[in-house]
Amino acid sequence: MVSEIGKIHQDLQQGKISCVELVERKIEELKGNTNNTANYLLDETALEKAQKVDAKIEAGKEIDLLEGIPFGVKDVYLLQGCKASASSDFLKNYDSPYTATAIKRLMDAGAIPVVKENCDSFGHGSSNENSVFGPARNAMDEKLVPGGSSGGSAVNVAKGFTVFSIGGDTGGSIRQPAGYNGVYGLKPTYGRISRYGLMAYSSSTDCVGPIARTLEDIRILLNTMSGKDPYDQTTIESTPISEKIFNSKIPALGFKVGYYKSFLENKDLDLKIKADFLSLIGSLKQLNIKVIPLDFYDTEVLVSTYYILAMAETASNLARLDGMNYGERHTAETLKKGYALTRSVNFTEETKRRIIGGNQILSQGHSEEIYLKARVLRDQILTKFNQDFQEVDAIISPVSPGTPPKIGSSLDNPLEMYMSDAYTVGFSLGGLPTLTAPIGTATGIQITAAKNKEETILKFAKLITDAAQWN
Amino acid sequence: MPLDLLSSIKGARPSEAVNELFNVIKRAVPDNQSVDGFDMGANAVSINELRSDEVVRCEEDQKELIRQNFPEKKNGFLVVPKVIEE
Repeated sequence: MVSEIGKIHQDLQQGKISCVELVERKIEELKGNTNNTANYLLDETALEKAQKVDAKIEAGKEIDLLEGIPFGVKDVYLLQGCKASASSDFLKNYDSPYTATAIKRLMDAGAIPVVKENCDSFGHGSSNENSVFGPARNAMDEKLVPGGSSGGSAVNVAKGFTVFSIGGDTGGSIRQPAGYNGVYGLKPTYGRISRYGLMAYSSSTDCVGPIARTLEDIRILLNTMSGKDPYDQTTIESTPISEKIFNSKIPALGFKVGYYKSFLENKDLDLKIKADFLSLIGSLKQLNIKVIPLDFYDTEVLVSTYYILAMAETASNLARLDGMNYGERHTAETLKKGYALTRSVNFTEETKRRIIGGNQILSQGHSEEIYLKARVLRDQILTKFNQDFQEVDAIISPVSPGTPPKIGSSLDNPLEMYMSDAYTVGFSLGGLPTLTAPIGTATGIQITAAKNKEETILKFAKLITDAAQWN
Repeated sequence: MPLDLLSSIKGARPSEAVNELFNVIKRAVPDNQSVDGFDMGANAVSINELRSDEVVRCEEDQKELIRQNFPEKKNGFLVVPKVIEE
């Protein structure tokens, strides 16, 4: 599989296109795009960086693989001196004081950020409709939602407005929009990539990850961003994945793959997605891959456990937003009324719903009955994952129960939106690496492996992508 | 404490959609464990791995950006809307 980053790198090095031309082209495409993917364009700084890359090439020097490659950044990351709004009124005029570690590592490798991308406000949503910049629009059909919360990022990659984009995934926010727009999106193992400089939504599941058009690009970006970071003490050591894994045919024999029966029993699962998923299972068996059906939790329990913990954490994380030190401030006759007015005016309805829900969960009475019980359930889900990965190398699942809905059709039904995350949230609770690959069903499939086994995921994705091409 | 005070959001009301999620958890039956049984350390960082507790001064450009973000300022200082009343 040809890496798009590699191809553009060659074109730059061989002078087939200048970096300034490349960046200008991307910015023009972003500026004129009808998918509403761009919150802020970074044209001035991007062109400055592009000129430096061109000067280096003209001087006959070799450039690094990522040098001069334009990319997009979900608007929940800090990038020093640039706006970081989280698609909210609260932070619409907020300037980032420093740069997120993951973004800095890409920039240190020479990649050029060109856009801060539209997303659901503070990551709160699965459709990108919860944005004060208006909804982003699906890459394949502008009447449909692009998914969320990293909707703008997935659309930019699918349309070619960026070579790759960096999304954020708390309960599926990279994987579901990747599936809705037909691109690859990886949520790495929790802690593999630093969260420093990512606005916190639910800290125990927040992950940084790449969205790209090729598997090889996913590998390059994962390697570049991974590693320990003193500013995020939950980060873990990881081994870079070699490019050699893509150099030869991956042997199918010996691979053991599981799937969850409860996912296919979900009453909301689209019949065509179900049929296509079962057909994929059939194809895997024909490849001599051992496929094992596994028992798992009901999707309602997974969604409820995830949202209860996520709401509790977001209520706590967003308590810092009071308009005191930064953000839009509204004053009232007393300090407390001022806080309340500031937060009431500046948060969207969905964000308020999650904060209020989180405070309910953490309040006396509810805490024991709901929050602590959700913690116990999460532990049991983790135990189940550990048992399953004793038996199989990877687990495959659909990305979403349905295809992307029309813009405006799900805003009035938050429960339906929460339930659309049925297949992504469990793996977030487990902290497991999961890739969306645009194959198998209309919204792709997820491939999950045990913690820190991203290499297994990429190998398996290569194997079935190749198989799909042979067929 | 009322929800609007807990959340600092005017007119905060419980949501039906969120209550539905609560009901699912209330009905769920964990396997042989009480609610006190969750693993406190499952997602925690070991105390031996914490970074040193020392002040790291930020660069001047970072300080300037922090000042730039003050909602209201006077002579380079942050203006607070009110003093603590209680």
